[in-house]
Amino acid sequence: MDFLVQQFVNALALGGTYALLGLGLAVVFSVLGLINFAHGELMTLTGYGIFYALFLGLPFPVALLIGVTLATVSAMLMERIAFRPVRNSSPTTMLLTSFAVSTILHILFQNLISARPKAIPIPDALAGAVTIGTLQIGAIQLISIVVTALSLLGLTLFLKRSMLGIAMRAAAEDFNVTRLMGVNANMVISTAFAISGLLAGVAGILWLFQRGSVDPLMGFLPVLKAFIAVVLGGLGSLSGAVVGGFLLGFIEIALRAYLPDDALAYRDAISLTLVIAVLFFYPQGLVPRRESVR
Amino acid sequence: MALSTYLVPSAAKSAVALCLVVALPCLAIHVAFTGPLVTTITNFLVMLTAVAALGVFAGNSGILSFGHCAFMALGAQISATLTIAPAMKKSAFPLLPDFILQNQLGLVLALLVTMILVGTVAWAIGLAICRLNGSSASISTLGLLIIVESLIVAAQGYTRGNQAVYGVQKLINIPTALALALLAIAVARLFRDSRPGLLLRAGRENEAAAQSVGIDVPRQRLTAWVVSAMLSAMAGAMMAHFLTVFSPKQFYFDLTFAIIVMQVVGGMASVTGAVAGAVLVTALIEVLRRFENGLDLGFMQVPQIFGVTQVGLSLIIIVTLYRRREGLLGFAEIENFWPALRRVIGGAPIGGTPAAASPAPAGELAVEGVTKAYGGLVAVDQVNLTLRTGEILGLIGPNGSGKTTLLGCIAGTHAPTAGKVRIDQTEITGHPPYVVARLGIGRTFQNIRLFTNLTALENVMAALAQRHSAIPRQELESRALDLLGELKIAELAGRTAGTLAYGQQRRLEIARALALEPRFMLLDEPAAGMNESETNDLLGILAWLVKERGLGLLIVDHDMQLIMRLCQRIAVLNKGQLIALGTPAEVQRNPAVREAYLGRRHAEKMIA
Repeated sequence: MDFLVQQFVNALALGGTYALLGLGLAVVFSVLGLINFAHGELMTLTGYGIFYALFLGLPFPVALLIGVTLATVSAMLMERIAFRPVRNSSPTTMLLTSFAVSTILHILFQNLISARPKAIPIPDALAGAVTIGTLQIGAIQLISIVVTALSLLGLTLFLKRSMLGIAMRAAAEDFNVTRLMGVNANMVISTAFAISGLLAGVAGILWLFQRGSVDPLMGFLPVLKAFIAVVLGGLGSLSGAVVGGFLLGFIEIALRAYLPDDALAYRDAISLTLVIAVLFFYPQGLVPRRESVR
Repeated sequence: MALSTYLVPSAAKSAVALCLVVALPCLAIHVAFTGPLVTTITNFLVMLTAVAALGVFAGNSGILSFGHCAFMALGAQISATLTIAPAMKKSAFPLLPDFILQNQLGLVLALLVTMILVGTVAWAIGLAICRLNGSSASISTLGLLIIVESLIVAAQGYTRGNQAVYGVQKLINIPTALALALLAIAVARLFRDSRPGLLLRAGRENEAAAQSVGIDVPRQRLTAWVVSAMLSAMAGAMMAHFLTVFSPKQFYFDLTFAIIVMQVVGGMASVTGAVAGAVLVTALIEVLRRFENGLDLGFMQVPQIFGVTQVGLSLIIIVTLYRRREGLLGFAEIENFWPALRRVIGGAPIGGTPAAASPAPAGELAVEGVTKAYGGLVAVDQVNLTLRTGEILGLIGPNGSGKTTLLGCIAGTHAPTAGKVRIDQTEITGHPPYVVARLGIGRTFQNIRLFTNLTALENVMAALAQRHSAIPRQELESRALDLLGELKIAELAGRTAGTLAYGQQRRLEIARALALEPRFMLLDEPAAGMNESETNDLLGILAWLVKERGLGLLIVDHDMQLIMRLCQRIAVLNKGQLIALGTPAEVQRNPAVREAYLGRRHAEKMIA
């Protein structure tokens, strides 16, 4: 029983990170139709931001703040410089642009910083475990779950209550009509990117806590999985991204826990195959957006 | 099945021309040079095969695939396993069963086996992926790439895992590579114009419209997916047997990106574009590769820059996407640039006298108690209607009254929450749109949905090809031309559909719907955006459809003049409910209708 609960906690933590990443992707996709391949680079930027802040001797919480701010600002810059010219084109065009941007950023990191990982010293307070009843839960995992929950709550409140949030939801439904209602298109899109940068930064921090180091390709694989999670949940649907992220986390942890040892190497293949199998039955994803054919 | 459904004569000539353009320089180099240039050219031919393979799927379906390198990896792995000498095989792949370990195949046989195996795998995967649309499908192919890569790495013992497979026989040189590359180009070019290629391209242009003419788009995608996977596998095998050493990491994101860049820069939807892109980008890579290790220019030393090639690829694709989105060649093929070729091909169709079409067999389309609810919102509420062949039924109502939703329920776009739809005795409730189309219901859309980048002729041919799978190409073209002639737009046959004027587009949409030989047609606001003379023309066409062709028409429109003049009966919807059904006169007198829809001013005009 303890084992089960332990795995459940692990799944929540991992799923939460995927959910945050997926949500960042979904926010931009729902407004623009762009799947941002360079989202992973936002995570990597967070990592490098934290590294250099710590290098300069700044206290840990400040370093985290700098990392997240760097991700948010970079996301907005990315939109302004790289994505605005292709704003109204087909999803494929935008996807390819983001892929190219991602590649350029990789190379920049490798050349300007280093191809090798840079270690991030995690404070001792975070390295321990918290005892709840008979369970040992890693402090980092607990923080992951709490931060994920707070982020989701914060985002939901923002989208439902604030003017900007409502404008974004409207833009996600029908961008052109939203503009006709007097909403500034650029502001909405910049906000969407800022939010996705913020979420990437938070997810980056959580990921960093688990790995302890940052390298140029850090964001690549988790974001690839986040893409799959978003498709699983339903492309364009924010709640779908969260559902997909958690589901993927659960599948991965379940496989890690219950697969026999000699099959462990196949874990990634199996989890992704399961996802594609689910898509066979639900081509629109699990929580799809409704669209009409006029 | 006529051979010309697959081997369209004009496409065959175009393919031959393209092959010559590629083959002659390569053969010249093979004869004249040795050394590094030979390596470059062979590499180029392998990449060209890979790009052509990708184009068969991505170009024709409009869905970008990141997963084709997975098929290349499988192709390399399987073909190498088959051709490596038994002595080496035992130590390299110890877990393989004996019948593989003890046998060794030649290149051709190995290629065949590889392509069949990969094709089968691709078919299974494609069943899931081809049902997804657009971005979802592209992302899933990304998942495919990761899955196959991790499978190959994990299956150590059957493969070499993470490590390189070495000792592969060098069975590929310029002549063999050239032969295979030309094969790939020819297949790609022929596929594009063949029946499956045409149907798929229609699906690419506008999926809803393709469905409305009976095209099962996922199924067409699957065909292209399998063919392209097999060609990709061939490319992977070529690479393995040329380099004699390969590892799974070679067929991962870097290669995927390079191939995609070639395709996009050249023009994703064009086989000639694939060739052009491959040439251009290969040249670029060769130049940039010199810079990777640093360069001594005499007056300055350029330092070693890691990843220059990747950055170069990224920049060239960004520039292409910013400035010329459709790629260098767009949708054009070689015959668009070579007038001599065009005359030989004889692309412009010659019209004949229209054959008299037999009128549609009599029958009725019945809507019984159809309801469509979206959660708490009831868009269509218990509507009962009957439409007989040879009659025109108008459907009017204020905006938001459920007219288009009702059409959607009949045409299969939406599945009704309750109620039944039948044609004669056959129930069609909830069938997907392409099935409903094949059962005899044609449709036009509120926002004209044409296959924009296809010619007017191709628009109609796609519908005809769907309906008749066994008719030779020449006959298909002349029938399409006849249909265009009946709608008085035969002279526009060679024009791209997107360039036509609004009224002409509407006619084309109707001509295409007619290709199905429907018994009923659903027309959603056919007069929208038309001026008075265009509306009169339309009236004539619609009346002709009923009188000469015996169709049953269901027309939704807001143009009261059109509806009152044309329709024998009119149904009025308000808030999803049918509030009146009768002759124009009866409907005009109906107080509920007047109140709900016509408005006081119009009502007084009608009575006067």
